[in-house]
Amino acid sequence: MKLPIITLAGALNLPASTIERWIRQGRIPIQRSGTSGTEVIFSHAALEKWAATHNLPFSLTGDQAEDLLPETLESLVSAMQRGKVCHRVAGDDAAAVLRSAVDRIDFLSEEIREELFEKLMEREQLASTGIGNGIAIPHPRDPLSRPPETPVITTCFLEKPINFNAIDDQPVSVFFILISPTVKHHLHLLSRLSYCIRDKAFVSFLNQHPDAAALHSRIAEFEKQLDDL
Amino acid sequence: MARLFKKLKYPGSWSLFRSDDRLLLILFAIAVGICSGLAALVLNRSLETMLEWLHHYRTYWWAIFLPAAGAALSSLFLEKIVNEGAGHGVPEVIYAVSRYGGLLRLRSSFSRLISSCLTIGSGGSAGPEAPVVMSGAAIGSNIAQAFSLNDRQRVALVGCGAAGAIAAIFNAPISGMVFAIEVILGEWSTMNIIPIAIAAVAGTEVSRLLKGNQIAFAHRDFNIHFNDILACVGLAICCALASILLTRALRSIHHVSKGVALPKWIRAAIGGSMVGAIGYFLPYALGEGYHAIRTAIDGEFSGGLVLVTVIALVKILTTSLTLGSGGSGGIFAPCLVIGAFVGLSFHRFLAAVWSSALWVNEGCFALLGMAGLISGILQAPLTGIFLIIEITGGYGVILPLIVVSAISTTLCHYLEPASFYLKDLVEQGQLLRPGTDARVLTDLSIQELLETDCICVHPNMRLADFIGIVKSSHRNYFPVEDQENRQFVGMIHLDDIRPYLFDPAMHHAVLTGQLMNTHVKTVSLHDDLSEVLQKMDEGRIFSMPVVSDNRFLGMISKATLLDQYRKELMVQTGRF
Repeated sequence: MKLPIITLAGALNLPASTIERWIRQGRIPIQRSGTSGTEVIFSHAALEKWAATHNLPFSLTGDQAEDLLPETLESLVSAMQRGKVCHRVAGDDAAAVLRSAVDRIDFLSEEIREELFEKLMEREQLASTGIGNGIAIPHPRDPLSRPPETPVITTCFLEKPINFNAIDDQPVSVFFILISPTVKHHLHLLSRLSYCIRDKAFVSFLNQHPDAAALHSRIAEFEKQLDDL
Repeated sequence: MARLFKKLKYPGSWSLFRSDDRLLLILFAIAVGICSGLAALVLNRSLETMLEWLHHYRTYWWAIFLPAAGAALSSLFLEKIVNEGAGHGVPEVIYAVSRYGGLLRLRSSFSRLISSCLTIGSGGSAGPEAPVVMSGAAIGSNIAQAFSLNDRQRVALVGCGAAGAIAAIFNAPISGMVFAIEVILGEWSTMNIIPIAIAAVAGTEVSRLLKGNQIAFAHRDFNIHFNDILACVGLAICCALASILLTRALRSIHHVSKGVALPKWIRAAIGGSMVGAIGYFLPYALGEGYHAIRTAIDGEFSGGLVLVTVIALVKILTTSLTLGSGGSGGIFAPCLVIGAFVGLSFHRFLAAVWSSALWVNEGCFALLGMAGLISGILQAPLTGIFLIIEITGGYGVILPLIVVSAISTTLCHYLEPASFYLKDLVEQGQLLRPGTDARVLTDLSIQELLETDCICVHPNMRLADFIGIVKSSHRNYFPVEDQENRQFVGMIHLDDIRPYLFDPAMHHAVLTGQLMNTHVKTVSLHDDLSEVLQKMDEGRIFSMPVVSDNRFLGMISKATLLDQYRKELMVQTGRF
């Protein structure tokens, strides 16, 4: 095989200068093509065997490069669009409201809904997710046993405000239920959501219990601001 | 035709040898062995001719100036004509092997032959072996260069050259092989042993074809008793003391001679005339001394205890004078002579003290003394054992031989931790045997360890903007460069700004130029890695910026170093 030395250095995950020195010192079964060329000649099988006996990584396909690419994280709007916006969610206390909210998430199977409810309750007992201004972000502490492939946010507007032990002791009337496949997705969405909630105007907009289209367009505006930062 | 020639010039890239070059090395080893064998024979013949030619003049009084003339000529030749250093050349070969992949100059393949021929032929007390080793090694190195072989192959061929030379000059293939591996390469691996063994065979065969298969110091059978083996302990102690005396005397005369403000050739001439004056009264102390060894081993040396001891001491003195003052030659043959006489004197001493006990013939002790001295001086017990067995054809003495070699090497090691050949290299920190820490650190360069994923900032940046950069970086270090001329002005470590990071009032009030550390320790691209590590250890730091010509090039950190160090070590010590 004939390859540029840079490519081969990438495949062995070593600096090109190390490969050059090893060729000169005869420590690696590779030859230079010509006297001053930047290309090298080697036998793929022999080099693979050599790398294995010396415990060095060797892969020409470039899998590693793909692994290293940053994950593309979801935007808030698409996660919300994938979920639902539920109005008039009934219940007198935290458990009852969460129960009826989870029941509304009908795109999940019965079994997963049960798990979700238990995990949400577990998380609430740890510490309330009421983050003030009448808003709570209930979420499972760890991803579900069979999480959705992409994060989903379900927005619930409660029939009447309830006591949720929020940090500012105000009754809660809006839920954003976050279900994420990984903790990383969760943190990403949480940070974006809390950016929106810090805005006073947005909080009062939420208290009017807007419909799905209006909510999504408002969130999209916020996300544009965030991306421009 | 041109293509064929080009192909012949790069045998390393033939598909037959590309993945496994053992066969290629064996073929080259034969060629190198033959060439270095021939070089050894050339020196041997010319020495004999010169001795014969000068023999008639030895009786005249002015013969005491012969060694002076020889040493001066050899020094002039080395200094003015071929421009090479004096001495025996073995440390140069070891240095080239460990530092430059065995790169030696073409002229080294004959320079020492001529200079040592002048020194020894005229009567200087030195041996022809080390010059021959240097020639053989240079021949191997230059053949490897001519065919564009890589460093590892070249080092193997340097070893082949040394092995072929020793094998040819002593008619001793195993000694040649063991010497090349134990002393020259310092690395026992099948990759090296096989070609070196082949070269030793080729060298020996050349010598046998042209000189006949003769054992240099044949002897009669010895009848060794248990008390002889016990006495060997005492002999080993004497040998070790003689070895140390020779090493120290050689070095101190070398120091004294260096301090004299005279041209090199005059210094060599002064040393030579002293040797000549001594030799006028005690001819045994002159030349390489093979004749004296033969008499001693045959047990036919007639002098008493005092004379024998004096000869051993005087030989130490003449060898030190010859080599220390700038003559050219090796230490092998003088060692053999001194060893033989130390053995004789020890035997005479024993016979005088315990005259009732039944001792083996004194020739046996002379032989054991030779092994003891070689092992002590080179600190290479295997070379000592195999050399004496082969040059005397005496497998019968193997048991006391091993005892003497082992004890003498150990004792010498206590008093002189580095052997005669390696002492200078160890003192300069240049003994870099494969697979050692020093070797790995020398092979790795800072260029290979450079981490270039740091984001540079400029000193007029506000902390708020800087925090934005911190968010997008995954490093803790940020080099600060001047905005216009891109000169390196300092470093910011995340620890430096941590107190201000959570204070929004500071975000717009502080500039990066106020936060940076301007007295940061830097390293340059060509610094020695072991010194860099020492700096890191002293300052308890884990990474340092690499700055060249006042430009920031990257960071060097212990984490990357460990990664590369481990890979390097695995590749250096692993099988090919």
